[in-house]
Amino acid sequence: MAETSTAQQMLDQEMIARIGRRDQSAFSALYDRLSGPLYSLAMKMLGDPAEAQDALQDVFLQIWSRAATYDPEQSSVFSWTVLLTRSRVIDRLRARGRRSRVVVASTEDTLTGAADASTVESAADTVEKNDEAVRVRDVLNNLPSEQREAIELAFFEHLSHHEIAARLGQPLGTVKARIRRGLLKLRQRLKNL
Amino acid sequence: MISEEQQDQAALYALGLLDADEDAAFESELRANAELRDLVRELRDAAGDVALTAPSLLPPASLKQRIMGEIALETKRVVPMLTQRASFGWIPWAIAAALAVFCGLLALDRVRLERQLTQIRAVDPLMQTTFYTLAPSAPAPSDAKATVAWQPGRQSGVIRISNLPAPQPGKDYQLWAVDAEHKDPISAGVVRVDKNGVAQIRFKPVEKAEHVKAFAISLEREGGVPKKEGPILLVGST
Repeated sequence: MAETSTAQQMLDQEMIARIGRRDQSAFSALYDRLSGPLYSLAMKMLGDPAEAQDALQDVFLQIWSRAATYDPEQSSVFSWTVLLTRSRVIDRLRARGRRSRVVVASTEDTLTGAADASTVESAADTVEKNDEAVRVRDVLNNLPSEQREAIELAFFEHLSHHEIAARLGQPLGTVKARIRRGLLKLRQRLKNL
Repeated sequence: MISEEQQDQAALYALGLLDADEDAAFESELRANAELRDLVRELRDAAGDVALTAPSLLPPASLKQRIMGEIALETKRVVPMLTQRASFGWIPWAIAAALAVFCGLLALDRVRLERQLTQIRAVDPLMQTTFYTLAPSAPAPSDAKATVAWQPGRQSGVIRISNLPAPQPGKDYQLWAVDAEHKDPISAGVVRVDKNGVAQIRFKPVEKAEHVKAFAISLEREGGVPKKEGPILLVGST
């Protein structure tokens, strides 16, 4: 898959195993590796730096307390932490009841995100990560637009398939098929990167 | 064979879109279908990568300090709790004893390997050796362990494994070198444990590995595979 080579996944798994044994230096290293993408995700979904930081704090405290329960058969470490982040963010969106205000930016708007108390990453610091992000973005952009739209609505806005169908004015079966086809294509193309 | 309907459900499940009832029903289907589990894992990883399309930002440095402070506090709170509970006063001693035994076993492993290496060094005094301690990852028993003595100059090493039960029929354990210069781990061959879960084997990776960051053991198809497919059981760096 794109985010992490198999070798990086093994190192991530080792870090998680060490965190499970309460190793603070491994935790610090994992934070350095993942805080950028996870914070970016929280910011895109919440649109508020203070809330995104609180969500990120919840996520990393959860990683600290639940590292021993991580199961590599279910997902990579990166995907596991993305799921934790989405889950924390969705809790916050539900709590404040303003999901409709979430703005989904287009996939072309990288590095033009909100200017706020957060730091836009310097190019020198993020060449490698952005390189991966660019490749994923290219793959996503090359999906048929209706499939990409369905995946983005599901992923960033956490709309259910029923809500996506209503938003797009499409039958439920069509929306399900778009999500399935899009995600299967994404999987195949990311595998080939 | 996975049906189209199952693929639909798998995609919705990977994105967390199923409601509680659908979720429970699909999870029970997952438990009985290994092929479907593999598909879900791959779809979940693909969905995870969608996060990378969000505009790149970094949190402020103060957030890391806040979080590290929280976990340091939590660690401090846990230790006094253990010592104050008189009825469980034996727990720290039991942990200390278990750690002492564990360290003793590791030390024995290391002494054994170092003795072997001393003999090898007598033949080649210029040789340098690096040790890697491999710890268990989720599917492996918690007491499984391995030590690798790696000789980069010779591109060969010795691995000693203990407490790793023999795999189920049709499967083999495979050793991998994680090298900074290679995208994928390099196979160092199949390793077979005896009935006591022990193995001591010399190995040589199939490709040159000059910057080995870690070694890992995964569960693979019988006879091994050219590229890692199965779950990691043991992994460790220097």
